[in-house]
Amino acid sequence: MMQSDIYTVNVGPIHPSTHGGLHAEAVMDGEIIQDVIVHLGYVHRSVEKIAESKTYQQFVPYTARLDYLATNLPVLGYCQTVEKLLGIQVPERAEYIRVIMAELSRIASHQIAIAATGIDLGATTGLMYGMRDRERIMNIFEMTGGQRLLSSYIRIGGVAADIPKEFIPVVRSFAHDIPLMIDEYNGLMTGNEIWAARMQGVGILSLEDAVKYGVTGPNLRASGIAYDIRKAEPYGIYDRFDFDIPVGSRGDSLDRWKVRIEELRQSGRIIEQALDNLPEGEITARVPKVLKPEPGIEVYHRIESAKGELGYYIVSDGGKKPYRLHVRAPSFINLMVLPLVCRGGVFQDIITNIATLDPILGESDR
Amino acid sequence: MNGQGLIKGLGITLKHFFQKEITEQYPDVMPELAPRFRGCLQFEFEKCIACGICVNSCPNDVLSFETEKSENSKKKKLLSYTIDFQYCMFCNLCVEGCPKDCLHFDHDFELSTFSRDDIKRVYLRPAEMDEEEEVETASMQDEQENKEQNKIEAMSKALQKNPAKILAQVLEQEEDIKILSELVQESEKTALKMAELLVKDKEKAAKVAAGFVTKEKKNRLQAEKGGEE
Amino acid sequence: MEHLFTNLAAAFTGWMITLGLSPVWADIILLLVKWIIIITIITLNIIVLIWLERKVSAFFQERLGPNRLGPFGIFQTIADAIKLLTKEDIVPSAADKLIFKTAPMFFIVVAVMLYTVIPLGQGMEVINLNIGLLFFISIGSLSTIALLMAGWGSDNKWSLMGAVRSVAQMISYEIPLAFSLLGVVMISGSLNLQDIVAAQDNLWFIILQPIAFITYFIAATAELNRGPFDMPEAEQELTGGAYTEYTGMRWALFFLAEYTNLVAVSALMATVFLGGWQGPWLPSWLWIIIKTYGVILVFFWVKWTFPRIRMDQLMSFSWKVLVPVSLGNILLTGAGIYFCKWMGWC
Repeated sequence: MMQSDIYTVNVGPIHPSTHGGLHAEAVMDGEIIQDVIVHLGYVHRSVEKIAESKTYQQFVPYTARLDYLATNLPVLGYCQTVEKLLGIQVPERAEYIRVIMAELSRIASHQIAIAATGIDLGATTGLMYGMRDRERIMNIFEMTGGQRLLSSYIRIGGVAADIPKEFIPVVRSFAHDIPLMIDEYNGLMTGNEIWAARMQGVGILSLEDAVKYGVTGPNLRASGIAYDIRKAEPYGIYDRFDFDIPVGSRGDSLDRWKVRIEELRQSGRIIEQALDNLPEGEITARVPKVLKPEPGIEVYHRIESAKGELGYYIVSDGGKKPYRLHVRAPSFINLMVLPLVCRGGVFQDIITNIATLDPILGESDR
Repeated sequence: MNGQGLIKGLGITLKHFFQKEITEQYPDVMPELAPRFRGCLQFEFEKCIACGICVNSCPNDVLSFETEKSENSKKKKLLSYTIDFQYCMFCNLCVEGCPKDCLHFDHDFELSTFSRDDIKRVYLRPAEMDEEEEVETASMQDEQENKEQNKIEAMSKALQKNPAKILAQVLEQEEDIKILSELVQESEKTALKMAELLVKDKEKAAKVAAGFVTKEKKNRLQAEKGGEE
Repeated sequence: MEHLFTNLAAAFTGWMITLGLSPVWADIILLLVKWIIIITIITLNIIVLIWLERKVSAFFQERLGPNRLGPFGIFQTIADAIKLLTKEDIVPSAADKLIFKTAPMFFIVVAVMLYTVIPLGQGMEVINLNIGLLFFISIGSLSTIALLMAGWGSDNKWSLMGAVRSVAQMISYEIPLAFSLLGVVMISGSLNLQDIVAAQDNLWFIILQPIAFITYFIAATAELNRGPFDMPEAEQELTGGAYTEYTGMRWALFFLAEYTNLVAVSALMATVFLGGWQGPWLPSWLWIIIKTYGVILVFFWVKWTFPRIRMDQLMSFSWKVLVPVSLGNILLTGAGIYFCKWMGWC
């Protein structure tokens, strides 16, 4: 028998493919991974504590910085939580605009995931194509909210401003082009034999483990369960849309990858339906300038973010600032399975697994 | 499989090889920005009423200002307005809150500076604004004086014409009114003084009127005594 | 035009002899001059090549690539070279200094040595070795040692992993590389590269040996550490692999050597499979340049399309696919030659 020493390799916090300040300490035996220790907190900004010192409205821009790649989704979740807390009814038109923006954010996030997986696995060109397509969404955000990346466009009670008149044709043409983009990603990457070999059977997350760890989002669906909060517990007006939940079967990296690509198509369908049914009317409800919920109320609200179940838990003490705010960040919980899925694989699988688990460190470290 | 996927991928990259590039030639060709684009935060001093809504709505303490209570009016006077831009997160809350539209984002996105101190922008009260205000107050004072003068003149004329009616405001007894009316009609000087007092301060006018009346009464008494003697 | 360089060389030797030097000395001086010219050409060529790769990869990705310095950004590489030359030369304190410093030099020397035997035109080579092909393969495999030196000398886990990977990879791919060339040698009956070119007078070996061409192409990609087989560098995983600790000009030497290898291997591929310097109308030395650049562009195309293969898959691909296929190709070639002789065709 050959004797070999166990050694550790630090992937991150500064490393080309850790998607931010992730530090994964790999315990290796040759090229075989014995264990991975995930160190978090490099992007900690104490967002939950900041919430306690800001008024309800002032905290809206901070939520955009949780999942900065899908900025409208965490903002939507927070605003809906506060609306639940205060019993505010959002106008119809605002609800539809919110759905369009949320789904565009989901597409943007998945496109970043696709692009980043591309570069992590060495297909640099895949990165450029994913980013190129995401740029169109950024332009739409710039057009509506004024900001490209962190456009805190959704506000408590509605949205910040009405959509400009060129919005609908631009979004419609984007939604129309989504299948073409998917064809390109599939042609360049999914269909590629090297790509399939890199992903197939790598980082298998069994359904039991996924449920046990509390994994949500595309990662859970890739393990074979059609659980999507948009369908399981529809928030906003999601019960009015017709879309499918893509599901994987083996729970390996390839399934996670394919689920994300398929979700692009489904989000495109939702956007098209929302554009067809977009009503006229108000874009924001009557919201008092100073929000003071009744004391002693606790609210938990969850939405399906691009990464999984994003929940906000707010306790009110009657003041104009939340007494306590907690974020249930899907990335944080999804990252906890990284050691599990990496064990027994080779070193390069860590990179594949980080890429396909698609964590966002702004959210997991908070 | 078996290489088909590889060849398809090669085909896709080859197709893009001959397509038009999407790169923006940024410093040479400036990007087209949407009208709502949020670049640099700008402040218009003249419009500001120093209400403080922007400061209260800012989540990050970017904005601050200094005011001074001016002497002759109750309005707050804005002395300086500071935008500590390094903390700004472009959330637009201040702009939306402002009732006078004096804050807005322009399209300048090249915000880098050479020194950290340059990021902080302080708007000082423009000198023209102070000058304008001085001129304004001066002219207002002039106007008021003129108005008063006119009033006094009008009043004195009225006093000479129909003294009893006006003097009833300051004197109660008819006898006194009669005495003062005669006095006023006799001397223009007294009439002017009474008119001035009536316009400016009625209490003082009442006292002075009473004084005039007693003085006149004394004079008349003395005159009577002198006549007897 | 055709005999421009050969005539120049003959004139130079003649001039040396008229100066009173013995023919041996004249030959030695000519050899030195040839080397100096080749090294200059390599260096200048790499400036163009790096620019070309950046430009080509940009076009694949719908970008523009370097376009600021000079027409089409052609001077970008020169600016980069100046930057690298002026950068601080950092040697890690824990590094094995001697090995660390000699590794890039070793790498570039080995890479330049490959040009000794490549025929750059009709009668244009540094030395016409009768075992030219064997020389090329053996010298080419030496670059493994340079990478191992770099990895070991850096005393860095990433570097060592990259180096160990490259050793395993290069040794594995050396075998299909040699085997795929063997078919060509069997047909031409010579290891001399000029003879191999002459044997392709009527028909290029890419048509006679298509399987050998494909296996050689794959194995050469792996030998060159280019994508999708860029295991030793693997920047997304190993942050730079064997080159992680290198800075400035030392790092640039590795870069230079990689491109030198690329040109050499592409030139060999053109020589062995694509008819070498042979071609109509244009002079021979131009033909080899055109063919070499054609092969290089295919290398670029492959690199900028495919994702990186995994280490264990890379090894099993070599031993389970490439080696058997190239062995089968030798069998097929042998049978074909025997058949031809039996039929009296050759």
